[in-house]
Amino acid sequence: MASRFAPLAKAARALPFVYAAIAIVVVWQLVVSVTKPEPSVLPPPSAVVIAFGHLLRNGELGVDTAYSLARVVFAWLLSAVVAIPLGLLMGSSQRLERIVNPFVELLRPISPLAWIPMAILWFGIGESGKIFVVFIGTFFPILLSTVAGVKEVDPVLLHAGRVFGCTSRATLFRRVVVPAAMPSVVVGLRVAFGTGWAAIIAAELVAAHTGLGYLIANGMDVLRADLVLVGMIAIGVLGFLFDAFFRYAQRRYSRRGR
Amino acid sequence: MMGTNNTGKRLRIDRLTKTYDTRSGESIAALGPISVDVKSSEFLVIVGPTGCGKSTLLQILAGFLKPTEGQVLVGDEPITGPSIDRSMVFQSYALFPWLSVLENVEFGLQRKEISRRQRSEIALHHLRMVGLQDFANKSVDELSGGMKQRVAIARAFAVDPSIMLMDEPFGALDALTRRLLQRELLRIWHEQQRTVVFITHSVEEAIFLADRILVMSARPGRIRAEWNVTASRPRDVTSDEVRQLERQIYALLDEELLKNFAPGSRTPE
Repeated sequence: MASRFAPLAKAARALPFVYAAIAIVVVWQLVVSVTKPEPSVLPPPSAVVIAFGHLLRNGELGVDTAYSLARVVFAWLLSAVVAIPLGLLMGSSQRLERIVNPFVELLRPISPLAWIPMAILWFGIGESGKIFVVFIGTFFPILLSTVAGVKEVDPVLLHAGRVFGCTSRATLFRRVVVPAAMPSVVVGLRVAFGTGWAAIIAAELVAAHTGLGYLIANGMDVLRADLVLVGMIAIGVLGFLFDAFFRYAQRRYSRRGR
Repeated sequence: MMGTNNTGKRLRIDRLTKTYDTRSGESIAALGPISVDVKSSEFLVIVGPTGCGKSTLLQILAGFLKPTEGQVLVGDEPITGPSIDRSMVFQSYALFPWLSVLENVEFGLQRKEISRRQRSEIALHHLRMVGLQDFANKSVDELSGGMKQRVAIARAFAVDPSIMLMDEPFGALDALTRRLLQRELLRIWHEQQRTVVFITHSVEEAIFLADRILVMSARPGRIRAEWNVTASRPRDVTSDEVRQLERQIYALLDEELLKNFAPGSRTPE
């Protein structure tokens, strides 16, 4: 019987988010009703809904979203391809970690946003500059959680691996260390997607003709706060959905094998 | 018969010691000198106070640690590192959570000479032996502690070892599950006739399982006393004979435990 109500229970978990969204809209409407600001400063929710419908129908919102998303996914995958192998090796070789770690620790405090001017100087305002910025933003979270994942592998699993036939370091690495570190790698990928999503919006604010960052920068230039807010809401909702998707994937991964 | 080609081998522990060097440069004697001759297919149980080095001993037998002095012979071969011929059951199960129950039992069977099909046959045979054939495709996270340890026992026997090392395997289980698994282990050991070295804190468990019980002293761990348990199995742990043996062993253990707190002694761990 319980399983019949499972979808209901799942929906119930989404309720707090719905309440929060409603509360934000109510407060927003109250502020507009009481202070009566210029629509170019703060339009009412209804105006934003209208702008949203307009941008959705003329395809602009879809195109901008697709651009931003494509850039993030590409740069994030590129990051993963470099950071995961490097992290796995750093986690298992103290010597390599000692060499690479100082570079990581010196470069990591520089926000990906601080790289935007250099990215423009080096790559212009084409795609490569934005990919570069997102790459910087996604690289360190993936690298660091991969290294941590390897280092935190339960020593008793390594013992079990060695007893049960992993006679070389390479075999032990492939059959025990890598799969044991995977949950932590997935956490890194999730966190990195979030930072990458933040970084691409910033990069598009400064140098782009497409993307959600461009949409809100352009809205500001033409004094259309409704457009800016549509862009902001799209950024927020999509970021939230991506994170929810990764959490779901993470749970699925940890329950693998059934 | 599948998976029963091997038999237990003799295990000779010869004047073994283990000394650790601390950072401040002093060395701490953790173990020995210890000499034990374990007969082939014998069920040897080692009990000792916390910190007596019994886990260190098992780590040396497994090949994870090198002894400071002395050596261990399996048959006539000295131990040089971990080997699938010396299988192990760990207190914390040490199952691989990213693998299914069946894949865990198959883990040690990934050698060229075993085909994929044989591998899953052998693994299923051993899952049947511990009564978990219906859980083959489950994730290990879905199992209770007692079931996890059964999977670990199946995994350990599936590789057809001549020696089975068991490091407080039932220490994390509740009393009833523990009793059940003790019985199952005895049944499997009886069928398979492997040499077992079993470490425990529990005197009752030692008496229930062992052919021979070794009691270790406080650090540095040495053999303090030895008993052959001759009562026929299954043993009645409430019998006078068992109770009397239990009293004797506890008396010794209490003495050794007190040494840990005696003035001038180093507190272990």
